Amino acid sequence: MRWWQIRKRDADLERELSSDLELEVEEQRERGLSPEEARLAALRAFGNPTLIREQSHLAWGLEWLESFLKDVAYGIRSLFRSPALTAVALLSLGLGIGANTAIFSFLDAILLRNLPVQQPSQLVLVGTGAWSGRSDAWAISELYSYPFYRDLQKNNTVFSDTASILSMTNSVFGTVDNRDHTEPMKVQLISGTYFPTLGVRPLLGRLLTDEDDNTEGNHPVAVISYAWWAGSLSRDPQVLNRKLKLGNTTFDIVGVAPQEFFGTTVGQRPDIWVPMSMIAFVPPNWGSYSDKRNESLYIFGRLKPGVSLDQATSNINLVFHQIWLSYRNAHVTQQDLADLQKTQVPLTPMEKGLSGLRSEYSKPLKVLISLTGIVLLIACANIANLLLARSTARVREFAVRQALGAKRSRLIRQLLTESLLLAAAGGALGIALTGLANRILLRMISSGPDTIPLDVSIHTDVLLFTIGVTVFTALLFGTLPALRATKLELTESLKDGRSADNGGQKTPLAKGVIITQIAFSLVLLVGAILFVRSLINLNHVDTGFNRENALVLSLDPSSIGYKDSEPRLSTLYQQIEQRIAAIHGVTSASFAMFTFSQGAWNNSVIIPGIDPSLSHNISQNVVGNDYFKAMQIPIIAGRAFGPQDTSTSQKVTIISESFAKRFFPNTNPIGRHFAIGVDQNVPQYDMEIIGIAKDAKFEGLGEGRTYTDYMPYAQRARYLQSLVVRYTGDPAIVSGAVQNTIHSIDGGLPITRVSSLEEQVAGSITQQRTVAQLSTFFGLLAVFLCCIGIYGLMSYMVSRRTNEIGIRMALGAERSNVSWLIMREIILLVTIGVVIGVPVALAGSRLVTNMLFGIQGTDAITLIASVAALLLVGIISGYLPARRASQVDPMMALRYE
Amino acid sequence: MDKNMQHRANVLQGTLDMLILRTLVYGAAHGREIGKYIQRTTNDFLQMQHGSLYPALHRLEKKGWIVSKWETAPDRNREFKYYRLTEKGKKQLVIEESQWKQMAEAVARVMWPAGEES
Repeated sequence: MRWWQIRKRDADLERELSSDLELEVEEQRERGLSPEEARLAALRAFGNPTLIREQSHLAWGLEWLESFLKDVAYGIRSLFRSPALTAVALLSLGLGIGANTAIFSFLDAILLRNLPVQQPSQLVLVGTGAWSGRSDAWAISELYSYPFYRDLQKNNTVFSDTASILSMTNSVFGTVDNRDHTEPMKVQLISGTYFPTLGVRPLLGRLLTDEDDNTEGNHPVAVISYAWWAGSLSRDPQVLNRKLKLGNTTFDIVGVAPQEFFGTTVGQRPDIWVPMSMIAFVPPNWGSYSDKRNESLYIFGRLKPGVSLDQATSNINLVFHQIWLSYRNAHVTQQDLADLQKTQVPLTPMEKGLSGLRSEYSKPLKVLISLTGIVLLIACANIANLLLARSTARVREFAVRQALGAKRSRLIRQLLTESLLLAAAGGALGIALTGLANRILLRMISSGPDTIPLDVSIHTDVLLFTIGVTVFTALLFGTLPALRATKLELTESLKDGRSADNGGQKTPLAKGVIITQIAFSLVLLVGAILFVRSLINLNHVDTGFNRENALVLSLDPSSIGYKDSEPRLSTLYQQIEQRIAAIHGVTSASFAMFTFSQGAWNNSVIIPGIDPSLSHNISQNVVGNDYFKAMQIPIIAGRAFGPQDTSTSQKVTIISESFAKRFFPNTNPIGRHFAIGVDQNVPQYDMEIIGIAKDAKFEGLGEGRTYTDYMPYAQRARYLQSLVVRYTGDPAIVSGAVQNTIHSIDGGLPITRVSSLEEQVAGSITQQRTVAQLSTFFGLLAVFLCCIGIYGLMSYMVSRRTNEIGIRMALGAERSNVSWLIMREIILLVTIGVVIGVPVALAGSRLVTNMLFGIQGTDAITLIASVAALLLVGIISGYLPARRASQVDPMMALRYE
Repeated sequence: MDKNMQHRANVLQGTLDMLILRTLVYGAAHGREIGKYIQRTTNDFLQMQHGSLYPALHRLEKKGWIVSKWETAPDRNREFKYYRLTEKGKKQLVIEESQWKQMAEAVARVMWPAGEES
């Protein structure tokens, strides 16, 4: 029954009773009684209306509700009676639950949630989903070419459907219909089998099919995402008549994907899906439809019913080897065969989708959820302690109530109600905090200016999890004090609430809780210090370039019709570099394929006299002549690139110091030659070494030696994504001037991003920074809760022992002795907690060692610092109660007795 | 305490329902009338406890034996909650009546065996 029905029924009953009572009064008056007498007589005859109502409620079976409402009302009153305690309890619960829910939301979004497609558990990925191919293996087993995908689709016997997807999304500046401006769009190239394999149904129109992907170049069709339809096209119902211009090609919009479908990569949200047959027409024209050596696709399939992962793996490997051999049948050596035998393609279940976020954050999230779990435990322990102290202080109240006839179950129920009330309020606060925390966290893990498109809204699973945590918390801290509080000797408690002998012995539970809190806090503190020190170490890594005072701009010439490898690209770059270098405040400017943490282009090089199997994985970079000046990477021998290096002169290269030391150990590499490319089919690209640059970090701060070779774009025209501008003075002014200059050269050239080297470096350690910040927050939270716990317990003990202290002082104890009496207790508790916590912390920190940089999990200084900090904090939070104890006036204390 | 009270009996457990149903056979009545009627008919021997009357009325209503409606009383210009017997209630009255008869006869046989009839 709903509450309003109950209220209606109650009102009805009241009306009935009053009408009948009124009748009784009238009848009495008709007998000649005065109004007042009539009223009294009627009431006498009728009985107590309130009692009748209560008896009616009993008949309705509403007694429980009434007593529950009474408990709630009483609970709220009693919680408000001690506002400080309530505030601390609510805050600890809210933070504990909020932190858990927020981290769990991320864990769920990144690690747990299945793709919103049909039977996701049947989907498997060929390979492991690594970002780039393992180029030291001879046959790449992560990324594949389009012809390979078609051959695998044809020859395997274990997939009912096979699909492929380009491993990166194309960021295109495209035009909708005939709008006069371009706008950024994320375009995902997919095989025609992509949607049928996933079993996704369109919201509008149709999705792509294999028909759209059978011949190259003549299927200009696109499916758009729900979010993009709702945003960029304002939910236009005529969307199927609209067109998109990407590069020079106009695409028809043929369908809208359903709202929940975000693609197959968690943390990415393409706006537009285009069939692979159009791969050469979507800027920046990555990949190829027919080149067997252009390996940039992920392949996944749907297992036929009844096929196990093992069966599928062996079939796919067989087919993989056959296809690979058929591609090189002209010249397969014994060595090739041996290498191929070593290449095993793993199949990875793909029900949760692909994700770079997952590999980056799976370990940190697990660590964080453990940390927040501990925080919640500490929060619960704290509340248990607070309630324990409070319920002990309420012992007399309970004794009186029991003496007046309250049942024990009734008292326990009331205490439980209070706890549940607290937990419910804390849970609600926690959910509110979660919303906030989710937004902050999403911002924290997004390294660029755009927030990662990740659905972390609180949904049912997370809500159930939170409710579970809340109820568990309520029971945990509700039961213990409730049971304790009502287990009492009536007469004993009524006689005296403050007898001397129950000060010390009655708190082992509370002390145990404090010890646990300290042990857990130590673990969190050690974790926090480790992560922070690791972050500091990362920040102090010598990058090899000067990260200060350098802007990095990204331009997109592909969207204004420039093709990759076109010589006129070099002309455009040169013009921009020259004009920008002339701006007041700019020292130098240079284009580069990569600056820092922007990905890599690795290749094998052939150096005369060096075993080619040793010289894989050399990073290549194509740069402008002033690159080393702009980045401030010192040239330690030879010269930098100059105007003399043209497309017709001898191809030249500058190598990194480590490259020189490794491959030219005892000779001067200047003037020596080497070549790129190991495949006999491709003409080798021979280069002369003209200089040696100091090592500079390339992919990330944590990488070791960098084996890099640089080439001038004058000799190798490529799309270069970055323009580095070294400046002096105000970055905002320089940045504005640089952008104006670029617009004045070509108004249509999109500037896709403006950042700085500093931001790029910071962005590359987003994960580590997030973990450090969060673990610090949790560590401080834990210590703070611990302080409150210690302070609460000690204050309580001092107040319990007031008369004992009074007697001691009356018998001549010094004030310092009394303080020591209390402090001794605190130091003992903290010490026990630390002794328990140290091995736990050591075990825990060993688990996170591979998340640390430049520091061991079992770092002694960290451990000592944490122990010292905890001792200090413990002593400070115990000092106030101890001082209060020493200021007890013996006369007052004894008089109270 | 009123001395008269000792000579009065409370309505026997389990019979109240039957008495209410029987009272309503004469037509619709409100709570006060039902109570008054039972009290008057038994010459004030059966005292109606309002604390049990109203819960009983609601219980019977919930079982569907009676229905209620707010109606204006014929003699007074005010609305009262009138209870009426339903078909289900009439059947229930028959059942309860026969059960009570059996019960009364059984009790009578124990208390006044046939031989001792005076």
